[in-house]
Amino acid sequence: MRSIWAVAVNTVKQALRLKIAAVFIVLLLVLLPVMGLKMTGDGTLKGRMQAFVSYGLSLTTLLLALLTIFTAAYTLTSDIKDKQVYTVLTKPIRRFQFVLGKLFGVILLDAALLTLFSVIIYSITILLPALLHADNDQIAQVRDEFFTARVSLTPAEPDISEELNRAYDKLKQTGEVPAGVDENPIARNNYRNELARRIGLRKRAAVVGEALLWEFNNVKPEDPNLFIRFKYDVAVNPQDLSIYSRWTIGDVRQYRLGGQVETPMYAADRKDLIRTFREFEVPADAVASDGYLGLEFFNVPLNDTVVIFPLEDGLELLYKADTFTANFIRAALLIFVRLVFLAALAVFAGSFLSFPVAILLCLSVFTMANMSGYIGESYHVVGAQPSGLYSYLLKPLIMLLPEFDQVSPSKFLIPARLFSWSSLGWLSFTTVCLKALPLAIMSLLIFTYREIAKVIV
Amino acid sequence: MEYAIETFSLTKIFADWWGRSRVVAVDDLNLKVRTNEVYGFLGPNGSGKTTTLKMLLGLLHPTKGKAILLEGDATDPQISRRIGFLPEESYLYKYLTARETLDFYGQLFKLPAKVRKMRIEALLDMVGLKAVANRTVGTFSKGMARRIGLAQALINDPELLILDEPTTGLDPIGTRQIKDLIIELAKRGKTVLLCSHLLADVEDVCDRIAILYGGRIQAEGSVRDLLRHSDKTEIVTGRLSPATLEKIKQTLAGEHAEYTIGSPLDKLETFFINIVARAQQQAVPTSGAESRTQISEFLSAGTDERVRREAILNQLVSASPSDEQAANTDTQNVQPQPVPATSADENLLNRLTEQVDLKPVTTQPTKAEPEPAKSDQPDKSILDELTGRPSPDKKNAHPGDSANA
Repeated sequence: MRSIWAVAVNTVKQALRLKIAAVFIVLLLVLLPVMGLKMTGDGTLKGRMQAFVSYGLSLTTLLLALLTIFTAAYTLTSDIKDKQVYTVLTKPIRRFQFVLGKLFGVILLDAALLTLFSVIIYSITILLPALLHADNDQIAQVRDEFFTARVSLTPAEPDISEELNRAYDKLKQTGEVPAGVDENPIARNNYRNELARRIGLRKRAAVVGEALLWEFNNVKPEDPNLFIRFKYDVAVNPQDLSIYSRWTIGDVRQYRLGGQVETPMYAADRKDLIRTFREFEVPADAVASDGYLGLEFFNVPLNDTVVIFPLEDGLELLYKADTFTANFIRAALLIFVRLVFLAALAVFAGSFLSFPVAILLCLSVFTMANMSGYIGESYHVVGAQPSGLYSYLLKPLIMLLPEFDQVSPSKFLIPARLFSWSSLGWLSFTTVCLKALPLAIMSLLIFTYREIAKVIV
Repeated sequence: MEYAIETFSLTKIFADWWGRSRVVAVDDLNLKVRTNEVYGFLGPNGSGKTTTLKMLLGLLHPTKGKAILLEGDATDPQISRRIGFLPEESYLYKYLTARETLDFYGQLFKLPAKVRKMRIEALLDMVGLKAVANRTVGTFSKGMARRIGLAQALINDPELLILDEPTTGLDPIGTRQIKDLIIELAKRGKTVLLCSHLLADVEDVCDRIAILYGGRIQAEGSVRDLLRHSDKTEIVTGRLSPATLEKIKQTLAGEHAEYTIGSPLDKLETFFINIVARAQQQAVPTSGAESRTQISEFLSAGTDERVRREAILNQLVSASPSDEQAANTDTQNVQPQPVPATSADENLLNRLTEQVDLKPVTTQPTKAEPEPAKSDQPDKSILDELTGRPSPDKKNAHPGDSANA
């Protein structure tokens, strides 16, 4: 353990004294405060803060990721190239201890730098409202919509398979399905998907004078307030680009059963801009004791267009579940987990490749991890006609790629969504244990059995 | 433990990129280094010396055979904690200071902080780098880096010390020091494997030597046995008058013996060259440089000698401040050593350090030239010392021989 620690400390000294880290540190120290003061976002205080946290954390992640790759690949390859391993490995230290020391050194450096920059970003964020002399309304908005960690509930997708089959059969009978589609499985699948999308959209659309009801179960707010966040889409643009609406919120079952009204019902008359996220607050006592909450939107006759709530993010029910600070700490830990993976990757590459090749490999993997969504999509396209090469070689490799773009700090910090400990735990487990650990073990094995002073003639 | 190092048919064949065998660097080597002897491992460039060392230490995997160090495997921490190794170049971390470097290696030996601190100071003192202990190794001259390299090899107080070309880059004083150090370590019961192509280094300190060429041992034995011609007699005296010489010649003529009269040669050098030449005649393959002629025609012996003298003198007078300090500390270290020849060495060192102290650095180049003319007698002895010519009684005083038995 002592020798691992000695190598780790030496690695940190190397990164700091060879000024690899200095470049990144100076860059961040300059850029972060400038970003804090210069970024305007959409002009509101909330927008500014969202922009700062998002770009600040993304920049920190990117630069620390590059620093990790550089340091980890350099520290091992340079020791081999400049032959310091000759003096070190002839001392009573096992080779795996040497590699572990290098890995821990890089992780140690990452932890220290990440802590430093997280604290800087956090402090600037907290101080920003005071620095910008924001008014009380804006401060209140930031408190409710930014400095919080909210759980988001989306309405359950209704089961439309029955309806889809009926609609498809009907279209087939009337001969409206284009020729050849029914015989070709791929074309039929595409056609049915399009049909399903339309049926789904119809269920999220209200013509004038019609009401849409969404039902939520298991709503358990800890905070006295609920937030409803929505976005309108329309068939025809209204003149002032706004939609009038009446919302009814509460246990709507009470109407149907005709019994005693036990929980309060709330109504809201609103006028909102289209194609923009809007939010309003409802007291949490509207939720029934069994966690049920009904949400009814009425397309009032003041409008003259169909109102559609887009799929995925058209409507959300939000309530506070944790603090911004806790969420921010989890965001930093998420970044840390990624840096650990990159350190393991770069040490692995450095254990058998030269510095430039190792860097190339790491940067490729890093880039791919940042566009894993796109790669996943391509996989679905290719997956329609699976081949042996794909299923046995490419697919496992893609599975091993970490998915940096799937969950990123900006994705939950900007809309102030809760990123729970369990999500973080699961992500850490898959990234560190399933993806980084095999790399680390491979690098230990390669380095242990490799001929250090190998000469090729 | 009879042998500190033992190899059995140790062989290394280097392959090309496709894995085809290309160069036999070490061929069926059976090396036996006894405990507590100073063993010289000699050979021209590319004869397989360093490759052998790398195999001994586990940095290279032998193609065939086995190496045993201190009755074990050098990659086993229990064994490697008893070994000190100085590679052909010092290979240090350039961004660490001298003191941090030693501390780092000390930690690898899991030495307690107190012991580490004590040993570091003692070693820095010994190699004369105490004054620059907080400077990064990257700023050091080659000789200074060599000294730190030596210090790191000694930090664990090793039983077995493996030195690969320990004197490269060192000034003559440093070279002298290392030789004295090796003798002193042998006295204290340590085993030293000294790998070099600087014959004078080896001749002065080694109990036994092996000469390697083409990856094979061409000759092995104690230095004196190897160099002694049993069918010849050598008489070394002071300068003789022509009359005495004539008398001796008459006496020798009476014995019908063939004789030559002249000044003694650098014997080991002759021997070494003969061994290599013989190996070349037998067409032993080598992966290193092959010198067919002993010296290039255009380099006359005279010029060569003058160039060398000038080079040595320049080296001496242009010592950097740190080297001066090194020399100063060295003097103290050398003095108490009970080697008979050191009285001359002390004079030499004192004179050298005085010279350095007295002369301002700026006037060095002009001072360098007239010196041989000014004081002929002492300078000659200095040069003899510095070029490594041994004083005749030196080898007798060497303690290693008794240790063999």
